[in-house]
Amino acid sequence: MSKIERLQRPFIVLLLLLLTSYFGIQAQEYDILLKGGHLIDSKNNIDGQMDVAIADGKIAEIAQSIHKSKAVRTIDVSGLYVTPGLIDMHTHVFMGNEAGAYIANGATSLMPDGFTFRAGVTTVVDAGSSGWRNFPLFKAQTIDKSKTRVLALLNIVGTGMKSRFEEQDVTDMNPEMTAYSIQKLYPDILVGIKAAHYWGDFTQVDRAVEAGKKAGVPVMVDFGEHEPPNSIEALFMEHLRPGDIFTHTYSNGPDQRETIVDQNGKLKPFILKAQKRGIIFDMGHGGGAFTWEQAVPATKQGFKADVISSDLHTQSMNSGMKDLSNTISKFMALGISLSDAIYRATWAPAKVINRTDLGNLSIGAVADVAVFNLRNGDFGFLDVRRIRVKGDKKLETELTLRAGKVVWDLNGIAAEDYRE
Amino acid sequence: MKIFNFKILRNTIGLTLFFVTLYLQAQEIDILIKNGHVFDAKNNIDTISDVSISNGKILQVAAHISDEHAKNVIDATGLYVLPGLIDPHTHVFVGPRPGKFANGFNSLSPDNFSFKSGVTTVVDAGTSGWQNFPQFKSQVIDQSKTRVLAFLNIAANGISGTEINLSQIEAARHDLNEMDVEKTSEMILEYPDIIVGVKIGHFNGGSWAPFDRAVEAASKTGRPLFVECHLPEYSLEDQLDHMRPGDIITHSFENISERMPVVDEKGKLLPFVLEAKERGILFDVGHGGAGFWFDQAIPALEQGLWPNSFGTDLHRFSMNAGMKDMLNVMSKYLNMGMPLKEVLIRGSYYPSMAIKRNDLGNLSPGTVADVAILSLRSGEFGFIDARNNSIKGDKKLEAELTIRAGKVVWDLNGLAAKPFEKN
Repeated sequence: MSKIERLQRPFIVLLLLLLTSYFGIQAQEYDILLKGGHLIDSKNNIDGQMDVAIADGKIAEIAQSIHKSKAVRTIDVSGLYVTPGLIDMHTHVFMGNEAGAYIANGATSLMPDGFTFRAGVTTVVDAGSSGWRNFPLFKAQTIDKSKTRVLALLNIVGTGMKSRFEEQDVTDMNPEMTAYSIQKLYPDILVGIKAAHYWGDFTQVDRAVEAGKKAGVPVMVDFGEHEPPNSIEALFMEHLRPGDIFTHTYSNGPDQRETIVDQNGKLKPFILKAQKRGIIFDMGHGGGAFTWEQAVPATKQGFKADVISSDLHTQSMNSGMKDLSNTISKFMALGISLSDAIYRATWAPAKVINRTDLGNLSIGAVADVAVFNLRNGDFGFLDVRRIRVKGDKKLETELTLRAGKVVWDLNGIAAEDYRE
Repeated sequence: MKIFNFKILRNTIGLTLFFVTLYLQAQEIDILIKNGHVFDAKNNIDTISDVSISNGKILQVAAHISDEHAKNVIDATGLYVLPGLIDPHTHVFVGPRPGKFANGFNSLSPDNFSFKSGVTTVVDAGTSGWQNFPQFKSQVIDQSKTRVLAFLNIAANGISGTEINLSQIEAARHDLNEMDVEKTSEMILEYPDIIVGVKIGHFNGGSWAPFDRAVEAASKTGRPLFVECHLPEYSLEDQLDHMRPGDIITHSFENISERMPVVDEKGKLLPFVLEAKERGILFDVGHGGAGFWFDQAIPALEQGLWPNSFGTDLHRFSMNAGMKDMLNVMSKYLNMGMPLKEVLIRGSYYPSMAIKRNDLGNLSPGTVADVAILSLRSGEFGFIDARNNSIKGDKKLEAELTIRAGKVVWDLNGLAAKPFEKN
């Protein structure tokens, strides 16, 4: 053995040791590996079997097969569907007990965490429960205290949805203050503007759009309490901009609320034109805003709401709505495919609210992930008039991750087996 | 002369039965539940039966009830029909205060979780005391569709501490002077239909005075004591000794440093625990976020300590953990080996007796029509405990339909709905 060889030997041993320890660390580079699931990620055009690896609360790798040895914890999700954490674009979560208030700091709103994770939802958008005056309270009280990511549309009315009467106060519909709050004060939370429950003409919508232009955000309109009724065709074609949102798409009445399907069961011709123009149609199920009478013929005639959302509040939570996963299953009962329905509750709303960091599982994206079991059986789905449509598929939320942490585990697939 | 004329008696009975039947038939039935497996322990019913409801009350339970006068008929074939479930351990004094239980964000709105789990009555476990009960009543109890009853905390302001680490904060706050037997008793007697007992909760001191005062208030008002047993200075044996038959201890299967567990390190149920049970002490599950451990519950079940009720200890930190909801807790026991009948009886009848509310937990004619219709799913399921350990199971209870005072308040698959007629 030459001298050089003798000198090299300890060096080689050291190198081997270093390499071993390096691969040892490599072997544990992921915190969680979701293995064997069917991934639906509309942004990245994935609809097939794919493993998902998570590290430091972010998506680290997506591949057809990632070896178990690379992760600290491997969760077997074979036979299950893996999707980006759902985004519920229409909720009311400004829960409180202010006397006389109904949705803003009131009892009609709900705490988000009790309804989100168990339905695969990781982000909710509060739809105008607060305005610029009471948003700071909403933030301190609910948004900062929730595990769910809570975003919000700011009501054009300064006091938000305090009562039906305050919502009529045109002097408190201030585009300047609304836009300022969104752009300067809370740009990470406020993703748009809401105009709702107004009894008059187009003034409220126009103010909201004015604020939307100033702040560069979309406007969502709940349009249907006008006396006399206002034309939704004028709303879509003259008042709203492409990218603005019409909610409660499938509601059928009351009389002041113009429907998308006419009395003869025919989809009004301007609806598809409006959608082509870029008007976003939001489901906004709620306690009173989803009917089979509208949804079935509209679907048959080629129209689908762009976004599936719950309009979660106390009047919808125990009714036909229940939660977002039930609402998605309902959409499937209309004949819409699972991947299309998931798209409308993940990537579609992410784009609408200009939060393309959400609703997808691109490498580096926050690891908000939902895992669903698609049950087969005899199920029924109710609308707000207690009319039932049968379905044979229903989503059940097996597992929900929020920023890489398990926040819901229905059957303990991420838990350790009990040993006596 | 015969004193007793059997013929007349027979005719009278016959005639009475005839008129009763006629009366029942003439009565308009709001809801008729047909062909379900009715389980009503109080009335010894455990068979396929029909249940009729009228004016918010149970009208009749019988093998066959005609649907001629029924406005709404629900086909419950293959499903279990039982008195609405009673959750004896919840925290529902919800309010906007961040990090708080009393009037705080850590409590939950009852309606959010009850009906979807077949629960029609919840008992709040001492989130309020005599000072803030009126606020709890006006803010939550009067506003909820769920029937909300309460154990009144012996501490004047209930669970007024912050965040999860209650005991330390509570110790400072639970000034003995605040634990007033007179004022607690007065409040109970002011709301005798709502307040069902007294609760002793988190207390760090060495004195028995809080415990004794809670017992005294319970005795004075003829109600049970609910012991939350986060009382690290008192041994479990001493706590059980201080309790009277009919008093309830919760978090029965907890395994934390704050309290001596019921099962020792060798997996043996402590003899004094079983003695206490035989003496009439009632053991509630009180699952919560940390209150249920398989290494306690499974050996305890095998060695004869069956819980009397399935209190969920519903709050912000248990709702998304291993607990989830009351049917999940009941399903857990079903898969641990407790027979279905024993699980169901502990869901409504036993807790109704524990809180001395004979008007609940049964389907006797005239009783308020709080009804749960459950399905028993088959499949591969799993259940988690506080340590994030899981057991597998093949059965799971699911709430198909819930009726509260004769109104449908939950209808999972539209059993009570009309089918959509396509044009």
